[in-house]
Amino acid sequence: MRKAPIIITAVVAALFVLSWLLKSNGAVVDENSMSAISQGFWITLSAFLTLAVMSFLYQDNPFYKFAEHLYVGVSAAYWMCMGFWTTLVGNLVPRLSEGLSNWFEVPYVGFKPHFIIPLVFGFLLLMRLSPKGGWISRWSLAFIVGTTAGLNLPRFLSSDFISQISATFMPLLVNWQGIGSFFSDFSLSASGQFIGILSNLVVFLGVFCGIIYFFFSKEHKGAFGVASRFGIWILMITFGASFGYTVMGRISLLVGRLTFIMGDWLGLIS
Amino acid sequence: MKREIPLLIVFVAGCFMAIQFFVPHASSEYVYEFVMDWTIIIGVFAMALGIWSFVKVSLNKINRRQENWQYSIVAMAGLFGMIVFGSSIMKLFGATQVGLESYMFKHFFDYVIIPLHATTFSLLAFYIASAAFRAFKAHSLMATVLLVSALIIMLRFNPFLGPVGEYVGDGAAWILNYPNMAAKRAIGIGIGLGMVATALKVILGIERGYMGSD
Amino acid sequence: MLKHIIMLVLMVGLMTAVGWAQEEGTATDSVVQQTLAAPPTNVQAFDTPNDNGHSITIEWDISADDGQGLNNVVKYLILRSATPDGQFAEIGAATPGATTFKNSGVKDDEDPNYFPRETDFYYTVSAVTADGGAESEVVGPVRGEGQFFDTRNGPVLVGCLLFTIFTIFFIRKAKSGAKLYIRPLAGIDAVDEAIGRATEMGKPILYILGLGSAADIATIASFTILGRVAKKVAEYQTSLIVPCYDPIVMTVAQETVKTGYYDAGRPDAYNEDDVFFLTNQQFAYVGGVNGIMVRQKPATNFYLGKFYAESLIMAETGSSAGAIQISGTDEVTQIPFFVVACDYTLIGEELYAASAYLGGDPTLLGTLKGQDWAKAGVIISIILGIIAAVTGQTWFTELFHVGN
Repeated sequence: MRKAPIIITAVVAALFVLSWLLKSNGAVVDENSMSAISQGFWITLSAFLTLAVMSFLYQDNPFYKFAEHLYVGVSAAYWMCMGFWTTLVGNLVPRLSEGLSNWFEVPYVGFKPHFIIPLVFGFLLLMRLSPKGGWISRWSLAFIVGTTAGLNLPRFLSSDFISQISATFMPLLVNWQGIGSFFSDFSLSASGQFIGILSNLVVFLGVFCGIIYFFFSKEHKGAFGVASRFGIWILMITFGASFGYTVMGRISLLVGRLTFIMGDWLGLIS
Repeated sequence: MKREIPLLIVFVAGCFMAIQFFVPHASSEYVYEFVMDWTIIIGVFAMALGIWSFVKVSLNKINRRQENWQYSIVAMAGLFGMIVFGSSIMKLFGATQVGLESYMFKHFFDYVIIPLHATTFSLLAFYIASAAFRAFKAHSLMATVLLVSALIIMLRFNPFLGPVGEYVGDGAAWILNYPNMAAKRAIGIGIGLGMVATALKVILGIERGYMGSD
Repeated sequence: MLKHIIMLVLMVGLMTAVGWAQEEGTATDSVVQQTLAAPPTNVQAFDTPNDNGHSITIEWDISADDGQGLNNVVKYLILRSATPDGQFAEIGAATPGATTFKNSGVKDDEDPNYFPRETDFYYTVSAVTADGGAESEVVGPVRGEGQFFDTRNGPVLVGCLLFTIFTIFFIRKAKSGAKLYIRPLAGIDAVDEAIGRATEMGKPILYILGLGSAADIATIASFTILGRVAKKVAEYQTSLIVPCYDPIVMTVAQETVKTGYYDAGRPDAYNEDDVFFLTNQQFAYVGGVNGIMVRQKPATNFYLGKFYAESLIMAETGSSAGAIQISGTDEVTQIPFFVVACDYTLIGEELYAASAYLGGDPTLLGTLKGQDWAKAGVIISIILGIIAAVTGQTWFTELFHVGN
C-alpha cells in the first residue's frame, strides 16, 4: 500500500519535467534559450501549484499540503519585504539618516525628528520578545488602538449613522395628487405611482423593523416581536440578494483559472 | 505604570484624532498624515513579531517531529528563500537588481503567489454552489427566503427565460433597490452606532480587552 | 436730357454709395459689438470656508452677453496677480453660465500645484469671446486661511457629544447596580455547548479573529469573546488553536488567551504556540486555516471579526469537516455566506452586543443600553424626517446634512 504515494509522486514529477521540457520549446542550451527554459519552468510551476490547490476540492493530499505551506511561507516573506522596502526604506530611512539613505540608494529628504516616534514605538513593540519587558509593548498597541478609535468615532458617526438616517427621509406619497387621481391613473408599471409608494414604504418599514431587530435590551414579544420578525425577513431577502449578486463574479474567477490551465499552460485555447 | 500609561496614550491619541476630524486647518492635516505614516511604520515592526512567531511554531513542529512536520520545512524554505531574494544580500552574488526588483523575488510573486492566490480565490465558485445546496437542504423558511431572493438576482440576466425574463429582471432590480437597501441601511445604522460606542469605550478606557492582563 | 440722365445716375449712384457705406458702417459697428462681451460684474473673491487654507473662491455675476444679449461668451478666464496693478496671469477657466471658481492647490510647497496660504492675491474675471476678453474690475487683496472648525460637521459634533453623554449616563447607571436586561442571542448561548462538545470529542477548538486589525471594532469585540472562550477552554481542559492574520492581533490574542487561562486558574496550561501568526496574505491565510481544519479536525470553529471573500471558503471547509460553527461579522457582504454555512451567525451589531453580553462587565452592558436609546432616537428622527419630507419642511433634513 505504501507504494501508491511513491508512484503518484513519481508520475507527477515525471509530468512536471515533461511539461517543463515541452514548455521550453526543446531549446538547446545557449544564451537566448536559457530564458525559454526558465520560462518553461515558471509556467509549469504555476500550473502545478494551480492543480495542487484545486485537488483540495477532492480531499487533502500531499500536493496541496506542499502548495499550502509554500504559499504561507512565501507570502509572509513577501509582505515582510514589501513593508521593509516601501515603508522602512522608502519612508522612514530618508527622514532619519543620510548614511542609511545612501546605503539603500534612496534620496535623503532631510532629518524629520518626529519620525523618531514610530521608531521608538516600533522597538517598544519588539520588547514583547523579551520575557520581562513584554508589558512595555502595550504602549505601542495603545497608540495604534487609540489612534484608530479616535479616527473611527466621528467618521462612522458621520458616514454610517447620520448620513444613513437622512437618506431615509423620503416622502411616502410619491407624486400624490389625491385619492381620485391615484385610482384613475392606477398602474403596476415599475415607474408607476403605486409601485413608487410601495417601494418607499418598504424602505421605511425595512429600516424601521431592521433597527427593531437590533434592539438588545428589550424582549422581542408582541408588536415588538412582529416588527423584529419582519426585520429579519427583510435581512434574509438582502442576504439572498447579496449571495446571488456574488455568484457570477466567483464563476468568472474560476473561468480565469481554467483559461490559464487550458491556454497558457496546455495551449489548447488561444 | 503597566496599565495607566497605555490608557493615557489611548485617551490622548483617541481624543486627538477625534478632534482632528473637525479641524480642516493645514496643521491638522499634517498631523493626520504623520500619524498615518507612523502607524504604518509601527505595523512593519509588528510584522517582525509575526515572522518570529511563525518561525518558532514551525521549528517546534520540525523538532518534535509532529505530524506533517516535513511541510514545515517547505514553509521555512519558502519564507527564508523569499526573504533572501528580497534583500540586498543578492548584491554580494553579483545581482544587479536587488530587493523588490530582484529576478527571483518578482518571479516568485508572479508564478507562485499570483497563481496560488487566484486559484484559492476561484475555489469560491465551487464553495458558493455547495453553500447554496446546503441552504436548499435546510428546509427552513428563512433559508428558503434567502434562496428565492438569491435565485431572482442570479437569473436577472438569463436570456433563456424569454418574456418571463423581463419580469425577473424588474423584480431583481426592485429587490436590489428597495428591500436590499433598507436592510443594508438598518444594519449600517446598527454597526455605525456599535462602532461609535466601542470607539468611545476604548478612548475612555472602559474597553481594554486589547491590553490583556498583567 | 443727357445731362438729366447723368445727374439722375449720379444721384442714384451717390445714394446707393451712401446707403452702402451706411450699411458697411453698421456692419463694422456690429462686428465691434460682437467682438467683446460685457464684463462679468459683482466679482467677489474670498477665503474658501471650512478648508485647510490653501484655496480662494471667486464668484461673479455672468456677463450681460452670456446666454442673453449678444450671447457670444465662450468661457470665463480667471486671472490672478500678487499686486493690483501687476501682471495678471491666467489660473483657470470656467464654462459659460458658471458663476464660481475655486483657486486651490496642495499644501506641499515643493509640489508644482502648490497654493500658498496667507498670501495676498488680486483677481479679475474675464468674459472671453472669439475675439478677446472683457475683464471685470480687480478685486482683492484676499488671502487663504485655514479654519479650525468645519461648520459642515456641526451635526457630527452634536451627535458625538450627545452619544458620549448617553453612554456615560448608562455606564453610571449600570455601575450603580441597576439590572439591565439583554435579550438572548442564539450564537452566544451556543458557545458553552460548543466547547463542551469539543471536550467530549477530545478535539480542539479553532478560533479565527478575521482579517481586521487590532483596532477594528469587530476585532476588539472578538477579543472579548476570545477571552471568555479561552477561560472555558481552560476550565474544560480542551485545546485551542488561534491562527492569526495580523501580527498585532496575534500579540493581543496571546495576551487575551493567557488572561483566560489565568482566570480559570490554569496558567500552566497556556501554550503561546497555540496563538500564532500564519501570514497576512488573504488567501494564503485561508489555505493555512483550511489545512488546520482538515488535518486537526477541530470540533468547533469560531469565525468572529472582520471577514472578506475568504469567509465562505473557510466556513464551507469547516462545515464539510463536520465542525459546529459559530460566526459573526460586521462586514455586510459576507454575512450571507456565514448564514448559509454556519450553525449560528451573529449579524452585524449582534457581534458587538455578544462581546458585551459575554464580557459580563456591567459597564459594557450599560453602553449597549445607551446604543438602544440611540436607536430609538434614530427611529423617531426617521419618522419626523418622513413627515417633514411629506410636508415639505426642508429645514429638518438640513439638520442632518453633513459634509459637502
